[in-house]
Amino acid sequence: MKRATPIIMNQTTAGAFVALTWLFIPSAAIAQDVASSPPPSDYVSRVEYDKLKAEHEAMKQELDALKATVKQLTAAPPPAPVPGKAVSEGKQVVDAPPEAATEELRQEVETLKAQIKETFPGTTKFLLGGYGTAGFTARSGEDPFFDAAFNAIFLFKMTDRLLFEGELEFEFEDNETTTNLEIAQASYLLNDYMTIGVGRFLNPTNFFVERQHMNWVNKLPDKPLAVYDGLLPESELGAQLRGVVPIGPTKLEYAAFVANAPGLITESDDFSEIGTLDFDNDANFGGHVAVGGHVGFIPIPQIEVGYGIQRSKVGPRDQAVEAVLQSADFNYVQDSPLLKGLITARAQWVWSHVGHFVYDPTGEQGFGPLTFNNNRNGGYAQISYRPTHIDNDYLKNVEGVFRYDRFNQLHTPVGFDEQRWTLGLNYWLTPSAVLKLAYEFDDKNGGARDQDAFLMQAAVGF
Amino acid sequence: MKAIGVRICKWIGLPGATILISCVALMWLIGCGTNKQSGEVAAGTTGKSGAQLWAENCIRCHNIRSPGSLSPAQWEVAMMHMRVRANLTPEEHKKILEFLKAGGGG
Repeated sequence: MKRATPIIMNQTTAGAFVALTWLFIPSAAIAQDVASSPPPSDYVSRVEYDKLKAEHEAMKQELDALKATVKQLTAAPPPAPVPGKAVSEGKQVVDAPPEAATEELRQEVETLKAQIKETFPGTTKFLLGGYGTAGFTARSGEDPFFDAAFNAIFLFKMTDRLLFEGELEFEFEDNETTTNLEIAQASYLLNDYMTIGVGRFLNPTNFFVERQHMNWVNKLPDKPLAVYDGLLPESELGAQLRGVVPIGPTKLEYAAFVANAPGLITESDDFSEIGTLDFDNDANFGGHVAVGGHVGFIPIPQIEVGYGIQRSKVGPRDQAVEAVLQSADFNYVQDSPLLKGLITARAQWVWSHVGHFVYDPTGEQGFGPLTFNNNRNGGYAQISYRPTHIDNDYLKNVEGVFRYDRFNQLHTPVGFDEQRWTLGLNYWLTPSAVLKLAYEFDDKNGGARDQDAFLMQAAVGF
Repeated sequence: MKAIGVRICKWIGLPGATILISCVALMWLIGCGTNKQSGEVAAGTTGKSGAQLWAENCIRCHNIRSPGSLSPAQWEVAMMHMRVRANLTPEEHKKILEFLKAGGGG
């Protein structure tokens, strides 16, 4: 039994070997065929492997270089914008970081917008400005009323030395719209210190009129007695020479002019007007010439003081008398961090003298012959405070104003002196838009009735 | 010459004549001696910046307006107007204009 088992085992092993051989021969043959044929796409040859490896190394190096570049650009400040650079030229924007590229693009757009805006009519050498006003007045003894006015200012810079300035006032009063030519002046810069102007210009001797009368500049709804619509002309028709001379840290301003002389009112339905000067004497009745000037001194930027004088003959040619108008002005403006605000103090006083004249010599008008001492004077002092340095956004736009103004003409046909105390409260919507409220306490002597007033005004400068 | 002076004094009065004659003579002499192109900086400059001069001069009469409220071209015209009206020196005019134009355009 033992002997037969090995034989059987040997036969079995041999059979299995043969069977396995037969089984593996086709597989080996197949494998041999595969090794000798081209590889399928799922497999990478050595050549391809080496090629891919080389490409990978190159890409890795390129990526490292890009990373370094980005890091360097991010750490550096954004590139300065190039004025006037066209968008198409901004190829660098692609390579720059997003923030810098956005900023540069924004700057270019702004520049282009400005350039386009400047091509609009009236924006290169011509400028249209002005101011508008709407107001309400309730004065005791009079009917309350609303009023409105619009002043258009035309500026034309013809050359670097030649400027034309015109101002038209449109005002609604007495149920009709009136139009006044306030300014029509051509100015030529002769040199750094001299400018000559011809035409109709604001009266240089009247500081308030030249610098403060615009409603968005004037801090109260109405204008001071005597100084405005009183003893000094608001404008002159003639020629002026003006300028400024820097003297170290100080400045000396000057203006001198020749113009049509004012007229002398010798006849009027309103007796109080007798002896006053007619500053709208555009036809120059009487044929006289007024000569005047103003000198201002600015010792420090916050302070300005000045003096002006105008002298002329007035009245009919054969009975002309002398008229001398004088004005002294003071202006103080201080932006004070200590007081947390802007303080202004302004004052101006005016004197008017008209020589001896016999009014209504024949008595035809019913009040003559009349002579009187035709000296008048008046002016104002004003202070204001606006807390511009405080943090509250509303309070910093509020401004308080106090003004005292006075007009002395008791011994003239007017027959009374007048003084007023005015308290005002302003709210500035923008630097050139303001809402004003004011209450005026009026006091007249000579038996005239006091006329307190409540005033409101909205004014916009543009 | 004396007769002319007397006639002028008689015509416009001594104060007026003094102002007129002295101003005209002084300005003409100074102006002729330093006749520059408009906008050039005169001698004796203050050394202040445009922003400082803008704040000092404009506020003397009215609230200061933002540089962006006018375009650079418009500021050119407005500043020439203010040079005449507010008696700005050439230096002040030049520096303030540069400041306003740099901040303008809106």
